[in-house]
Amino acid sequence: MNNKIPNFVKTNQFGLLILVIVFICIFSFSTDGFTSRFNIYALSRVVALDIMIGLAMMVVILTGGLNLSLGALGVSAAMFGGWCMESIGIPISITIILVLAFGSFLGWINGFVTVRTGVHSFIVTLATMSIYFGFMTLLTEAEAFRKLPEAFTDFGSLKLFNKYISPLLIISVLTCFVLYYIFKYTDIGRKLIAAGANPDAAELSGISVDRMFIYCHMLSGFLAALAGIMLTARIGAAIPSMAGHLGFDWLLPAFLAPVLGGTLLSGGKVTVFGTMLGAILVTLINNGLYLIDVGEFWVRFFLGIILLGAVLLDRAREYFTVKNSIVS
Amino acid sequence: MSALLKKDWFGLGLVLIFGSILISLFKPAFISPFNLYVLMLSVSLMLVVAMSQMIIIAIGQMNLSVGAIGGLVAISFTGLMEVYSMSILPAVLIGLLIGLACGFINGYITVKTGISAFIITLATLYIFKGMNLGITEAQPFYEIPEAVKFFGNAKIFGPIPYLVIIPIIITILMWILMNRTSLGRYMLAYGNNVQSSELIGISSTKIVIYAHVISGLLAAIGGMLVVCRLQLGTPNIGDSWLLPSFAAPVIGGAILAGGKVDVIATAFGVILVSIISQALVIFKIDPFFVQIFLGFMILLAVFINRYREYREERRTKVFSDE
Repeated sequence: MNNKIPNFVKTNQFGLLILVIVFICIFSFSTDGFTSRFNIYALSRVVALDIMIGLAMMVVILTGGLNLSLGALGVSAAMFGGWCMESIGIPISITIILVLAFGSFLGWINGFVTVRTGVHSFIVTLATMSIYFGFMTLLTEAEAFRKLPEAFTDFGSLKLFNKYISPLLIISVLTCFVLYYIFKYTDIGRKLIAAGANPDAAELSGISVDRMFIYCHMLSGFLAALAGIMLTARIGAAIPSMAGHLGFDWLLPAFLAPVLGGTLLSGGKVTVFGTMLGAILVTLINNGLYLIDVGEFWVRFFLGIILLGAVLLDRAREYFTVKNSIVS
Repeated sequence: MSALLKKDWFGLGLVLIFGSILISLFKPAFISPFNLYVLMLSVSLMLVVAMSQMIIIAIGQMNLSVGAIGGLVAISFTGLMEVYSMSILPAVLIGLLIGLACGFINGYITVKTGISAFIITLATLYIFKGMNLGITEAQPFYEIPEAVKFFGNAKIFGPIPYLVIIPIIITILMWILMNRTSLGRYMLAYGNNVQSSELIGISSTKIVIYAHVISGLLAAIGGMLVVCRLQLGTPNIGDSWLLPSFAAPVIGGAILAGGKVDVIATAFGVILVSIISQALVIFKIDPFFVQIFLGFMILLAVFINRYREYREERRTKVFSDE
């Protein structure tokens, strides 16, 4: 009987897809305005960022590590971009390249220290989180950059597809496809996964695990910087507190999306589209909770409950699939 | 003497003594009674928070929800006294009970599902913090009984505040727990190697739940001490605990993989962090530097630990060659 179920149905992504559909149905029937053009546009802007943050965390989870400095890094990069555009007047396209390079560099620091000390990246990125955020606050004196070029801020408020979708979402979805391609079809992507799945075996088969881990951290920094730019474009200004104190506001979506998407915390597995679906689910629930009007102070509580419920469900699913495969 | 040199806390102790002498030579204000009083207050509060994290590090896990538990207990404690005009003792007991329950939830879910404590406590961090905000709607409680205010402000004699009593007792109890009881030794064994500790008959369920319950209780005490100190219960108590809670044990030589913590070195780590933060203030350095400094200190401690491990490895290698 087990063989008749297509493989896709057994995956985590399928479960997520069902959940996304269920929540869309629930919210469209129980609230006014969930399907309104305004709300869908707002959702697309938020989802775009959550996907990017989730991907940035996913590539570090691949190594079996974590990146707590994600938010601090993203905001630092965004502030750097704001400074480039407003204070120096560097053209937008060059600024974006500089910001992405800067983000990758900060990610490189994370990776380098982690690899060289052999300490868990949790503690390294905990330290660099406060270092990045501290330096950023000192250098900017906690002042925002609000006079960004219009072409840049206009892009953030652009409306596509009959004014339903933000272009930011298209960037995120494209990034998903690129990452999927890298991990699935390129040599380097396969090496990254191999290094994360079994470092010893990878080392023995001639992969420099240390270098792969540093690449993962650099990729994480790159994606976090991209998320920082996107957030700047969305808000129309680069604000030091836009990801909360120490960038903490990014942490929950960052972990929720990959964990819901089926990325193993022990490393060695990536699910790009799972992460995307995870981010969509989180944003949907967040948005729905506001529309249902649970009170803004309780939103956090429910998000915590949902994270807990999601990991427990995933655990149960794993348990049953293992049991089924043993029975058959 | 050579036995002393090997202790984690010995080097830290030297750094502390010479550092303090150096700072007070440049700035005599550093050893003024007022400054010592402020220093002791900050040490007392962080000591409890660091111990709360240390016990979870001992079993090789992390507890992100320490601050959230502290905050939830702090506002429950003050809320019970203000809104329900409860007297102090029952309010303290209920506060401890909440901490215990929060810790139990963390430990129970972690050990029963086998999901990493990081994810579980990240979820409970949001749950506890969400309950905190849901209950208070981000408004502080101001009506605190005089006795509580007195406890948070008064001095025993000289610059020594009453507030240090409880943290000192807790530190001694923690030392006894980790060094002189089988429960503490079992925790370290579990943190060192889960499989082998199970093979010699240590119950993981018991160890993990105990560790999380103690962590929850300590976080609760930390939250209530902050209420005494601040003289009010604000919902953001505990928000900034995460970094210092890891900094002190790591500077004290704790290995995050579990199995090795040192209570005295952790206490010295707390004192070191407080002295440095204080010195930066005295030398009129931007407060944001304190944060950067803390980050660098963690990295430095990590490098030093790594170097010591490396030296240890080399030494043992020489012996085995002979």
